[in-house]
Order: sequence, then C-alpha cells, then structure tokens
Amino acid sequence: MDLLQGTLDMMVLRTLLMGPLHGYGIAKAIRTKSGESLEIEFGSLYPALKRLELKGWIAAKWETSETKRQARYYRLTPAGRKQLAAEHSKWAEFVDAVTRVMGPLPGGEA
Amino acid sequence: MNWRDREREMQEELKALEEIAGRKELGNLTLAAENARAVWRWAWLDGLLADLRYAVRILLRQPGFVAVAVVSLGLGIGANAAIFSLMDTLLWRQLPVREPERLVTFDYGTSSYYSFRQFQARSKDVLEDIVATAGAEMRDLDTGGGPQAGEVEIVSGNYFTGLGVTAALGRTLTADDPDAAVLSYAYWRRAYGGSPDVVGRTIRVGKFPFTICGVAPPEFFGVQVGDVADVWLPIAAVSALYPGRHILDGPNYNFLELLGRLRDGVTAQRAADALTPLAVAIDLERAGPGVPDWVRKNMQAQRLKLTPASNGLSYLRRRFSKPLRVLFAMVAIGLLLAAINVMSLQFARADQRRRELTVRLAIGAGRRRVIRQLMTESLLLSFAGGAAGLLLCRPVAAGLASLIRSMGKTPELLLRIDGPMLLFVTAVSTAAALVCGLIPAMRASRADLVNGLQQSSRSATDAPASRMLGRVAASVQLALSLVLIAGSFLFAFSLYRLTHFDTGVNRERLVMLDVDAHEAGYKGAQLDELNRRLLARVGSMPGIERATFSENGVFTGRSSNDQMGADGFQAPAGKRRNAFFDNVGPAFFTTIGARLVSGRDFTEADDAAAPKVAIVSREFARHFFPDRNPIGQNIWHVNEKQKQPLQVVGVVEDIRRDARQQPQRWFYVPQWQAKSDLWSTRFLVRTRNAPGSMIASLRAAVRAEDKAVHVVSIDTADQLLNYNIDMDRLIAALSFGFGLLAMTLAAVGTYGLAAYNVTRRTGEIGIRMALGATRPAVMRLVFRQVWQAAAPGILAGAAAAAALGRLVAGLVFQMKPADPAVLTSAALVLAAVSMGAAWIPARRAARLDPMVALRNE
Repeated sequence: MDLLQGTLDMMVLRTLLMGPLHGYGIAKAIRTKSGESLEIEFGSLYPALKRLELKGWIAAKWETSETKRQARYYRLTPAGRKQLAAEHSKWAEFVDAVTRVMGPLPGGEA
Repeated sequence: MNWRDREREMQEELKALEEIAGRKELGNLTLAAENARAVWRWAWLDGLLADLRYAVRILLRQPGFVAVAVVSLGLGIGANAAIFSLMDTLLWRQLPVREPERLVTFDYGTSSYYSFRQFQARSKDVLEDIVATAGAEMRDLDTGGGPQAGEVEIVSGNYFTGLGVTAALGRTLTADDPDAAVLSYAYWRRAYGGSPDVVGRTIRVGKFPFTICGVAPPEFFGVQVGDVADVWLPIAAVSALYPGRHILDGPNYNFLELLGRLRDGVTAQRAADALTPLAVAIDLERAGPGVPDWVRKNMQAQRLKLTPASNGLSYLRRRFSKPLRVLFAMVAIGLLLAAINVMSLQFARADQRRRELTVRLAIGAGRRRVIRQLMTESLLLSFAGGAAGLLLCRPVAAGLASLIRSMGKTPELLLRIDGPMLLFVTAVSTAAALVCGLIPAMRASRADLVNGLQQSSRSATDAPASRMLGRVAASVQLALSLVLIAGSFLFAFSLYRLTHFDTGVNRERLVMLDVDAHEAGYKGAQLDELNRRLLARVGSMPGIERATFSENGVFTGRSSNDQMGADGFQAPAGKRRNAFFDNVGPAFFTTIGARLVSGRDFTEADDAAAPKVAIVSREFARHFFPDRNPIGQNIWHVNEKQKQPLQVVGVVEDIRRDARQQPQRWFYVPQWQAKSDLWSTRFLVRTRNAPGSMIASLRAAVRAEDKAVHVVSIDTADQLLNYNIDMDRLIAALSFGFGLLAMTLAAVGTYGLAAYNVTRRTGEIGIRMALGATRPAVMRLVFRQVWQAAAPGILAGAAAAAALGRLVAGLVFQMKPADPAVLTSAALVLAAVSMGAAWIPARRAARLDPMVALRNE
C-alpha cells in the first residue's frame, strides 16, 4: 500500500504517543498496528525521523533496551504532541470526506 | 551540533539498530543515511533562504545605512577589481594562441630582418618556428571614406600560422603575400560594420593599397601586451611603406621582436644553448670589422637567453609589475578602510537592534544562529557592493589604462570580466563581509539579557568593551589612512621632482612637430631643400618666436649612436668610446634654450662648403677631453674608412629627458654638413603665446608647403616629458585619489566617534555644565577623547608607513621611502582633519542646555 504524503510523519508521532521507541521499534510497531499490511521501509522511515527531529517534534537520547543493548530512543516533545493533535483532526476530516464521496457502490455489485 | 558530530551519531545509531534487528530486516542502510543527510541539507538551505529573506526585510528598513555601506564597499571592491583586471591584462593573461606555454622570447634586443631569417633557417632542431613583429604604429588607414589614423602592425608572413591563430573570416597571411592585410576583429566591426564580404576589398595604408585577405578572431590583439593592432601587414610591405630606406637589407636595421615556439620536449634552456653560437655569429657580423678586441671578446662570451612567453611580449610588464603591485596594496588598504567604516556603522546598528536580538536570544535562538543571521546581512551588503564594484571596474580600469600612453587608443578592449575576475570579486566581497560583519555580530550576540530588554541608551552602550571597540576601530582607521596619505605625499613629491628638474632645455612654450617627408618621396638634396623651406615658413609665422629642427628632437628617446675618437683620447680596455649624436639645424641650442658652456651655436654659415664642426655635451667633453679645453679639438667617427675630423666649436650643458638618468655623451653636427638623409625631421619652435593655439596653424603651414608631407605628431615639450613618466603620473594620480578617499573616511570615522561620545555623555556634560564647566572646557573634553583614539592610530600609521616605504623604494625619485618630512606632514594633515571632524560634535556639546541635557536622563 502506498503512503500518502506526510502520513508517515503522522504515524510516527502517533506511535511515539505510547512511549519512547528506537528506530527499528517504530517500524515494527507501525507494522504490527496495521495488521501487517503496512510494510514500512526503514530507508524512508529513518530520514523521516531526522526530519521530525529537526522540526523539534521528537527528541532522541541513548538508552538501554530491554535486551540490554544501547539504542537511540525517540520520544514526543510538547511541540510534537500539539502537531499530532492538529494532524489527527485534519486526517479525520480527510478520511470522513473521502468516505462520504466514495460511499457504498450502487447495485451491490463489487 | 555540527555536521561531523551529527554524522558520527547517525553512524552509531544505525550500527546499534543493526545489532538489534539484523541487517536484512533494515534493508539498504547506505540509502537511509544518504536520505537523512539530504534532510539536513534541505533544512540548511531552507534556513539560509529564511535568513536571506529576513536580511532583505531588515535592510530595506534602513535605506540610508544600506546606501552608505554599498557605495563605500562598492568603491573599494571596484577599485580592487580594476587593478586586478589591469594586472591580469598586463601581467598574467595567456595569449589566445595554440599551446602558449611553448612560446619563448629572445632576450636579445630587437633583431634585423636578416638576423630573423638567419635564426629562422638555422633553429629547426629546437624550435618549430619563429615569428617576428615590428610592433604597432600609427598610420593613416583609408577604407574608402578618407584617411583615419589606425594602428598598423608589420609581422612576418608566418606570424598567424606560427602562433596557431586561425582567421575568423577569410584567411590569415602567408609567407609570400606582399600586399595582403588582415584586419583585427574590432577594427572590422568598427570600420566595416562587420560586413561579411570584406575579403578581397582594398584598404589603403598611407598611399599604398592592400587587399584584405581575412579577419583575426575577436580575442586576438597581437602578441605585444597592451598594443592593439587594427591591421596586420606582411613584412614584405616594409619596402612600400618606407620607400628609399632599405630596411630589409641592412643587418643593422633592428626593428623586429622575435617569438619562438619550442619543439615538443625541448626546454627553453636547451634551445638557448643550441642557438647561442648562432646569436654570437650574428652579433659579430652586425658589429662589423672595426670592433675593438675587448668588445669582440665580450660578444663571444655572451649567452643567448630564451624566456618563456606564454603571456606574450611586454615592455609594459617589466615597467608596470612593481607599480601595479604597489597600487594593489593601496587599493587593498582602501577597501579595508571602507570595510572598517561599515563595521563602525554596524556597531551603531547593533545598538539600535539590541532589543530585537535580545528577544531572539531569550526565546532560545542559539548564539551561532544569531551570528549567522547577522553575517547573512553583511554578506548581502558586501555582495551588493561587489556587484556595484563590477559595474565600476571597467570604466575605472579603462581610465587608468588610458593614462598609460603606450597602451594605445582602445585600452578598454583588453579588459575583460571573466571567470578569474568573478572569482576574485567573490573572494574580496566575502573577505569584506567578514571584516565589516564578524566582530559586530559576535558582540551583538553576546547580549546581556536584562539590560538589552530595557533598551536604555545608557545601559546598552556603556559597556567598557563596546567603547573600546569603537575607539580601536577609529585608531585602526586613522593608522591605515596615514599609510595611504603618506604614500600619496611620497609619490606627489617624487613626481614634482621628476617634472621640475633641470632638463637643460627651456620647455616654456616649446613645441615639437614630427614631420615625415619620406612617404611623399623626398630624399637627398630635395629633402634638405624642403626642410630649409619649411624652416623659413614656420619661422616667419606670426606667433612663432623662433624655429629650428633636428633629426631626433628633444625628449623623444630616439638617438643615433657611434664609436668616436678624439684628439688626445686614449681608449684603454673597458673605457667606452661610443657617443650619441644628432643632426641639427641652425641656431638649434639658442632656439631650444639650451645653455652653451663655452664656444658658439651653429649658424646658417655652417653649411656643406664650410669646415666641418661639432658641438659636444658637457658629459662628452668630460669623458673625451678630461684634461684639455675641447674647443678647437677634433673628434671623428672611428669606423669611417677615411678619417673626417669635426672641429669642436662649442660645449653645451647636458640635456636630459629623465631626472633618473645619468647625463650621456652627446655630440651634435649641423644637418647641412651631414652626408646622410634625415631619418625624420622634428621641428622645434618657440611660440609667443600658449602653444595649444598654434597647433592647427602649424599643421596648416606644413600642408601649405606640400599636401603630401605627413605631420606625424605635434607635442609640447612638457607633453613629451610627461610621456616619459606616464607610470609615475599614474601612480601619483591614483595615490592622490586614495589619499583623499582615506582622508574622507578618516574624517567620517572620527566624526562618528566624537558624535557617539557626545550622545553617550550628554547627561554627564549637563552635570559638568551645571557645576560650572565653561564651553571651551566642554569642547576640550570632546577633543581629548577623540585625541586618545587618534594619537595612537597616527603613531602606529607612521610606523607602518615607514616600514612599508621599502616596498616603493625603486618607484620614488630622490625621496627616502621613510622620509621624515613626508611622514610628519602626513601626520599633521591627518591630525588636523580628524580634529576638524570632531569640531562639529564638540560645538554641539558646548551648546547643550544643561537643563535639557539632564532631563534626558
């Protein structure tokens, strides 16, 4: 499934709402949450993380993982929380609008 | 966080993730890293654009400041660019020919056509080819619409092919083309409007028709840097252009500059070694059989030198490389001054913007971020200055080049705005931005938050460090100004001495006409007869006091030279016996105002029938007659088959055209007694009124005698002398300009410092006045503060000027580079100027109303 522009950023922010994660953890979490239908390429996820970091919506720090390994953990900043709220409502409006346009197909044929 | 830290951290992060997840799971990590870097690059660019937009907005709000900054930086950068382009043109640029790095010049003096052919025929082992040029000279060119002056360059037939220059139109010269002509691209555009059917048409040079065979490419001006030829003619044309003078046959008509092309793999040194025996043989042949043994030995010991000439031949390069370097140093100092001036303005601006900057720092903008923003503004100003400088550079450089007489009529053709030039302007603009922006930006970004937010004029500007900076800036400015002013004084005094020395000739209202009757066909007795008639006609013109003539004129640098013998003169080995001579008309010395030390002047009576006589210069007499009175003694040409003594009838004070030159051995003989034709005739006339008014009627007088007789030039004696010191005049004129500019900037700087001090201390001055301080006391207070900055600056400047003086040692005449009189007078002038500039703020301080001043607090 293709990702709409900017959706990845939004999903990253949403995922981090649950708590800090390292880069690979974020990719895994999105995949699991989507019922394995969204296969996030790490190659596109990683620049997105850097972009969000530059904008100040997420921040990172070295921590030890549950498997006793060092990794850089990202967490949401207050600015990121605000951004997520704004994007979430925009997204909801968008989905709502598209759903209304599409509706069920007439004649019950699929 | 800088780029390196970020990169390292990214690598560590990716490595850690790889250990957690495994390489396969993460996919292409190189691509991930590359994309992450792209994110940073975009962010950086975005930030830059934002900074630029913000900088433009800020600057638009301060048009006055922007105008001052851009104009002063523009002048500074423009002057640097102009000198750079002159240096590029005269010193560095490569010739637009095939493989210019293989060209070499013969360090040999000029060659005759005979030696050129000898070299050409016998150098094939080491040189691919040799080309020759006689240099450009003014001639009448007629394209069908009447004669107009143009530059004609006579070159060997293989000139273009040997250099590897192909025609833009038609073809170039070939080895056997007696009447072909190649036009320069610029001349083709100018005289023929760039018409494509010009090939095959006729162009007249003087009286002689030539067939245009092609047009040279636009970037090619010839191999002589500074000369711009309009038309190239083959060497065979010499016989037609100089009728009656067998220039191509004589082994001693040295008029060609040679340029060789090394064979592949041959070094200049090897070629020179291979050609040395040939050069010696040619020299010996040239000198003839009458050469004394010691001279012959010297000639045999000579070694030919070949110098790499990828950037062409240039006598200008030798003469101008040092002066241009000095000028470059001066314009660089000028730009530094301008940048410091802008820096002082930036300090003041930063004070006004304190609140804005403090707010930005308070809400967490990093110091580097603020510095970057301020530097963006400085860079923007500086590049605007650079653009203005580029606009200025061409006219300025062309103006300077036109002061160099030998650069011809169209020096602007040679000046180009190209890659190296743009690179130079970019570098200079960046450097200027650093000078005028960095310190103010560093200081402004180190804001004291509490005081900054209050924005009280006191607290914002009272920091001792900021006062120090202002004072130091003013001091440095004065020091630099002093260097420039001292330099301009030095060059001005030197020029004064070069123009006010005893030349041995009275230059007042003295005019020289250079007349060429050869082209009109005069020779032998006819030529003498013509000169007699012209002399009578010119001499009897109203407005002419008296007239005479000579072959070489005065101050022209042209001379004839021969080995001489004299009664009682022994020529031991090493003692020179050559002397310069000139064929002159009657009353020559009386007319030009030369002083006869003893004996008499020539008269009409000294004609072919009378005993042969000569007049010698004082230096000639000192050399040849050290122990006897020269009057009545005989001198003679050593190399004549039959000794023909000339009796010395007078001794004349030495005539010099250059104060830097030692007096030379000269003797003069009456033309009516000379055996050979005059090469040229220079009439010397003393006018009654301003000489400028006589030029047209002098020209008309020659034409009235014979329309075909060509007046080559008419100059006053002063002009002739000035041509000789064009370099000195160029430097003096420029350094005067820079001195003036420096003085203005120094005045502005000290004015700013004083005004700022008065504003800052208004309250204090009010209190002092309320407590009874008198107005003079208040003014003294202001002056004292300015003086505290000015005195160390002027002292440091004097020391720097004394040290830098060594750089100009060879360029000033009869002046010590660290001349105490020059340094003292420059220091006094600068002190007066800076105190004068402080006068206005001081008077304002003295007129303060104490009540108003105190209320302001």
